[in-house]
Parts: sequence; C-alpha cells; structure tokens
Amino acid sequence: MNDANPVLIEAREIEKRYPNGVLGLKRASLSVKAGEVVVIVGPSGSGKSTLLRTFNGLESITGGEIVVDGHVLHQRSADLRALRQRVGMVFQQFNLFPHLTVLENLCLAPVKVLKLPATAADQRARELLAKVGLSSKCDCYPAQLSGGQQQRVAIARALAMQPAVILFDEPTSALDPEMVGEVLEVMKQLAIEGMTMCVVTHEMGFARAVADRVIFMDAGEILCEDAPDAFFGAPKHERLQSFLRQVL
Amino acid sequence: MSPPLSRWLWHAVAVALLAALGSGLYLASKRIDYTWRWERIPQYLISTEGDDQKAPFDGFVAVSEDGKTLSMTALRGTETAQFTGFSMIIAGNGDLVFEGDVIAKTDAISAGPLLVGLWLTLKISALALVFALLLGLLIGLGRVSKNPAARDLAAFYVEVIRGTPLLVQIFIVYFFIGTVLQLSAFSAGVVALAVFTAAYVAEIVRAGIEAVPKGQTEAAQSVGLSGLQTMMYVILPQATRRILPPLAGQSINLIKDSSLVSVMALTDLTKAGREVVSSTFSPFEVWFVVALMYLLLTGVLSVAVRRLEQRYAVQG
Repeated sequence: MNDANPVLIEAREIEKRYPNGVLGLKRASLSVKAGEVVVIVGPSGSGKSTLLRTFNGLESITGGEIVVDGHVLHQRSADLRALRQRVGMVFQQFNLFPHLTVLENLCLAPVKVLKLPATAADQRARELLAKVGLSSKCDCYPAQLSGGQQQRVAIARALAMQPAVILFDEPTSALDPEMVGEVLEVMKQLAIEGMTMCVVTHEMGFARAVADRVIFMDAGEILCEDAPDAFFGAPKHERLQSFLRQVL
Repeated sequence: MSPPLSRWLWHAVAVALLAALGSGLYLASKRIDYTWRWERIPQYLISTEGDDQKAPFDGFVAVSEDGKTLSMTALRGTETAQFTGFSMIIAGNGDLVFEGDVIAKTDAISAGPLLVGLWLTLKISALALVFALLLGLLIGLGRVSKNPAARDLAAFYVEVIRGTPLLVQIFIVYFFIGTVLQLSAFSAGVVALAVFTAAYVAEIVRAGIEAVPKGQTEAAQSVGLSGLQTMMYVILPQATRRILPPLAGQSINLIKDSSLVSVMALTDLTKAGREVVSSTFSPFEVWFVVALMYLLLTGVLSVAVRRLEQRYAVQG
C-alpha cells in the first residue's frame, strides 16, 4: 500500500445519538485510503456495524462529517444515491433478492442504475460469478444455494457496480463454520487485487493476515488502531488486551 | 398413504351433525303453515318467455300469406318496416297499431331475472375490484411512504372508511356524491364498493410490504437503486406473494358486500331476489337459491385462492 494513495473515506468526529438519547457513536474519526484493508473489531454492541453503516448512509449521523469518495455526508445528507453507487456493501444476512436468479441479482443495479446494456451487464455478471467460483449457479435462485455460496454471490453483486470501496458487515457471522473459509478466501483475493475494504468481523485470523490496519471499538468509541502485528502482538490499550484474551 | 380410519369416522360425524341440523330445520318448517313451491323457481333462472316485438311507429300491420313476415306501413309519412323470425303474431292483418304496441313474440330462451341479477353482481364486483386494487395499492404505498403528508392522508382514508358502515357509505355516494357528480346508479355502486374495498386492500398491501425484511431495502439501496426502483424491482415483487391470498379473500368479501348496492336502484342478485319474492310469494325458496348462487361465485373464487396459496407455498 502506498501512502500517497488518495483518501477514500474520511470520517471526522462523527456522532450518532439515537432518539432515546443513547449515544451509539462517540466522536469517531477514521480515514481509509484507496487500496487499504481496514478491519474493525470489538465486542458486540460496541458500534462497529453502526460505524460501517454510516459510510454509505444506511445509518444517519447526528454530528461530525463523513467524506466518501468526494461525497460529503452531513446530518442531512444530499445525494445518497450517487454515493451508494461508489460504495458496495456486503451484509451479515446476505440480503440477496430471493425473487431473482443469481444472474439477475447481479444485473439489476448495473442495468437500472448505471443504465448498462443488458448484454454487457450479463457478461460482466458472468465474469464476476466465475471470479467467486459460482459460474454454474447463474440461473439458481438464492434459496437453492448454501450460505457460503449466497455470500459469495452477494460479494459479486457488490462488485458488479464497480465500487471504489466495499463495506463488509460481519460477512461470515451467519455462516456455518465449514463455509467461512470460502468467503474469506474470496475476500482475501479481493484484498490482493487492491480493492479498498472496510471489514467488521470476528475473524481475527483474517484481520491478522489481510488487514493493513486493525481498529478496536468499544462502547461507541474508537479506542485504538494499529498495524495487525502490533495490534495482536503488543496491544497497547487495556480494554483491547482483555478483549483479545477473550476471543483468541 | 391413506388417512387412518378414525379420521374418516370424524368426517362422518360432521356429515351426520349437518344432516341432523338440516332435518331439524326441515321439521321446524313443517310446523309452520308454508307451502314449498320449488317448481316456481326455475322460470326465474331461465326464462322461456320470448321477447316482445314492438311496433316502431304508428301504422298498419300486414301479414304475409305464409304468416312468416309482418310488414308495417306508417300512418303518417312513408315509413315501412318488416319483421321475420317470430313465433307468434299478436296483431292481426290490417290492424292499426301504435308505437310500442306488441305486435309479435319471439320464443327465445333468455336469462331470467335471477341470472340477470347475478350478471350485474359479477359486473359490478369485477369493476369495483379493479378500481379497488389500483386505489388500494396507491393508498397502501401512501401508508408506508416516507412523506408524512402521504402517510397522514392514507391513514385518514383508511380510518374513515373502515370506521363507517358500508351501507351508510353507499347512501352517501348515491345521494350526495352521485347527485353532485351526476353518477348513474351503476357508477355510484362501483364507486362505493371500490372506495370501501380499497381501504382494506391498502391495509393488505401495507402489511405485505412491511413483511419484506428490512435488509432487502438496505441491500437495494446500497447498490444504488432509488426509492421507486427499490419498491418496483425488489419490494413489491416479494410483497405480491404475501399479498395475493388475503387479496383474493378480500375480493370474496367484495362480492358479498355488493349485495348492499341493492338499496340503490340497481337490480343485482339480491334485488332480483326481492323482486322474485314479491311476484312468487315464495321467500324461502328464493332466498335459498340466491344464497346458493352467491355461494357458487365465492366458492369458485376460494378454490382459486387455495390454488394460489399452494403455488406460493411451494415457492417458499
């Protein structure tokens, strides 16, 4: 990774206060450069998914500012659609469109949003499915696929929009253990190809092997961030130490 | 695998109970002074009484020698007319008849008043259903809209319509709106039924949309689809399978509710029944037949509904 790469996501002191007054995010600041893989870890309820979801406007913010690929997100954000075309998202529950075939899942947005000709979208979708190893499943419906296959389709669906960055919201948490590997393998491949990725996960092995930086969140705050070796090898923060003792 | 014997036994118990109820009713009706005249009913279903051939203007009648052609010459002016294909001549050769007089009868088999009423019930229900679906979809979308004004209006509509009796709404549409907008009784009936049913359709649509997991909206929006595109390509196709069965049930209700339009000057199945009662003095038979005809309509629909439910159940 090159330090001269442009910054794709710049979150400055963002705050998320729920209507009931609870603070979900406390002055969280984070920047992600192009080509970087940033992994966010932390105990459940620490706000890591919330933080991730603010990056494409699925979660609104009540303070601070986020700039994603040149689009500014304030409390009242303007053009979410243009932003979302540049930011892919992979969900814990896959959220494939169950009434569409795998191929149609991949083609819907490129055809309707990017106005790509159907044949071009179709061809790109097939290439992407080949990339995630699911060429044979083009005409299947999501319900006919295993969890791991569905998540790989979901990654391909995000890639079909040729995003600048992909957000992964606990992509392996809903999977049976034997299927975690195939999804992580695809993500690893993406990282090698230089895709910018923000990953919320409990897979510490993935964080250690693939991440450029690991971020630790607790109670809505970003407590520390470090390169994976230092993060896991010599954790500085006391809360991080106890967290790592529990998960490793 | 065939069901065990005990299950057949219980079905038999149900049949026996129904039979007991039926014979109880029969015995009870024996005790009152009522003569059953079922033989009077068929003519009100299918009428063998022919159509009347009426004189189109004032004039003289001439009958051809073979008795198969009637010709008329006008009393004033030079108008002439010829009629064939009738079965019985009423007017005689050389008679002076006036416009509207019956000069001959054709003996075609035609639908009796009850069937004509059934047809009107079908027509008014079908038309009302089409409008109710369109209006209901619109209002249902309003109920789940992000715009507070649309939400308020849709909620207001649903509350007002569901909170007032259909009969009162029919009176309001017929006497007030019908008068202001000069609606025919038929249009007023369609409007009243459509407006009423749309409120229920709207709630069905709302429930169907809300049953689609939130993750679907999030996924659609994260790939950049607009709100409208999300609704059209992702949410509604999935909501449809949940909406269809209750919607079909609502259309069965619509058919039954349509009996209330008989309070307007509309001869639907119920009104036809009332008219037949007043000419036969056989209320028991007529109302049983009318009920059976409604049951036929709704029965066909509910079989269709069950098919739909099975089909969508398989798809999961």
